[in-house]
Amino acid sequence: MQPSISYATPVPPPDDRLSHRRESPLPTRLARTGQLADRSRAAVLEMIYRAGSGHVGSSLSCVDIISVLRFDQMNWSATRPRSESDVFILSKGHAAPAWYASLMVGGDLGPEEVGTLRQIDSRLQGHPDRTRLDLVDLSTGALGQGLSVAVGRAQAKRLRGRGDFVYCLAGDGELQEGQIWEAVTVAGARRLANVVLVVDHNGSQNDGLLSEIMPLAGLAERFRAFEWHVQDVNGHSHLSLMDALANARDNQAQPSVVIARTRKGHLGPGRIALNGSHSATLTTEEYESAMRYLEGRRDESHP
Amino acid sequence: MKATRDWFGESLADLAAEHEDIVVVNCDLASATKTAAFRARFPHRFFEVGIAEANAVGVAAGLAQEGLRPFVASFGHFLTGKYLEIFQSVGLNDAGVVLVGTHAGLAIGKDGPTQMGLRDVALMRTLPNVEILHPVDGVETREMMRHVVGHRRPTYLRLCRQPQREVHDPRHRFVPGAPDVLHAGRDVVVFSMGGPVGVVLDALDTLAARGITPTVVNVSSLPVDAAALGDIVDAHRRVFVIEDHYVRGGLADEIARIVLDRGHRVAFRAWGVPDYGQAGDPRDLYARYRLDRDGVVHHLTSFADADLATAPR
Repeated sequence: MQPSISYATPVPPPDDRLSHRRESPLPTRLARTGQLADRSRAAVLEMIYRAGSGHVGSSLSCVDIISVLRFDQMNWSATRPRSESDVFILSKGHAAPAWYASLMVGGDLGPEEVGTLRQIDSRLQGHPDRTRLDLVDLSTGALGQGLSVAVGRAQAKRLRGRGDFVYCLAGDGELQEGQIWEAVTVAGARRLANVVLVVDHNGSQNDGLLSEIMPLAGLAERFRAFEWHVQDVNGHSHLSLMDALANARDNQAQPSVVIARTRKGHLGPGRIALNGSHSATLTTEEYESAMRYLEGRRDESHP
Repeated sequence: MKATRDWFGESLADLAAEHEDIVVVNCDLASATKTAAFRARFPHRFFEVGIAEANAVGVAAGLAQEGLRPFVASFGHFLTGKYLEIFQSVGLNDAGVVLVGTHAGLAIGKDGPTQMGLRDVALMRTLPNVEILHPVDGVETREMMRHVVGHRRPTYLRLCRQPQREVHDPRHRFVPGAPDVLHAGRDVVVFSMGGPVGVVLDALDTLAARGITPTVVNVSSLPVDAAALGDIVDAHRRVFVIEDHYVRGGLADEIARIVLDRGHRVAFRAWGVPDYGQAGDPRDLYARYRLDRDGVVHHLTSFADADLATAPR
């Protein structure tokens, strides 16, 4: 079937000058990222529907975060070497469709690739593989590793006198991995202010609710203890995310974490896909229903 | 005589003066892994991460992605224990990290098997883009270091703690993958890497007195050139592999695969560490595990006496 929302429609002329994006009037920026996020959600749904498997809930919970980063906050373009620009590390690699969707919406991937997710020889591997797609900054999938690489990149950028930022998106369940805290320790101790960690805090993981499987007691306090700058925001509010990321960059003394409260499978206010499941199969009925819902939101604004 | 870890430390500091992209990631083992000299000269290029090897591997991958040439050094046993992190952050990203694993083999002695690099080669040779380098002496260590700083591929550099004799002329040039014939003999060819190479050479006089003159080949880098190795095998009837590593998964498996792939009609024997290892004086350990000179004489004598007619053809 034809997608009801065309993520293939080119975005208003991509302008990779960050100043241009950030200096637009705020309502313009919010309208743009809101529209792009909805297109990304449609792309995520179609990719996973056509693949027959994939992490719907985990991808949809971070589409807003990725959209704000990619289309408003990061100095990232497909053509610039990452050693001379911001870096985006998707440590929760199972949300790969959310990143691929942003690339499609941004015009860096052709819409014809939407049906290739998880197929043999595809650039759109089930988890990101930069040896097959160089629009991925880090191959990930086994959890807990992304922040360490972010720390290495940030140290290199500081050594070379670069002012770029390294953004790392991790899942909340992923914070159960011990290696994350090894990297948190180093970033805090070395005051790596060019590291920004965004935690997609959707509250659930593979086997169920995070609070039941292994709660993250005192999450904000933990980061503060390691001398991080901590913000706790609504991860579906683009305005809140923009503010938090700007604050994170403004803090020149510490690494920053943005704990973004999200919902697994988020499609819009009051609407989630697949009852917030981690990676359940998307049926035709559910797919079409979700696409119709997004179609109905086309002209809404997204504060 | 010096240990290859010492040659490495000197070479690293020397090369870093002309290669500004060389950086070091340390896990609280700068003295043992001999990166302390680098730290003294280039402190701003030395990144301490504490006792956290998984993180060190990731940090090094990030440094490499930014165009630097990071050396992350620890005991080989600890470093390659972070196999999942090496697989993904280094291997699957093709990140140009040099993983430096020291204290290969039984030589750490009294600290025992939790510190011994005895299965590091087995792990690293599963990764298709990782080059394994295991120098046998100072000449080869310095040559390998020049090779390593000249490219950006993931590398595992395996180093020994014990002093080793120089087996190469100072004019020797290292060629990646090339089997390095140190002694030409007949009937039996011995393949080895690192520590046992010198031990085999030390046994040549005793063996000669018994009428055994093995060809001795230093296989100091993997993957090895299969055609060149096969040509050497072709000139012999018996192949013996001896390694200071678990007998499963290491050099013997690499060579056996090549011999079988090419259909060589030779008798094949391998010797290494068959169990987890144990603590003890290194001299006692090498004697117990028959990886010393007497052990080499024993293995090659019994192999020479074996009736090849009964070997499967």
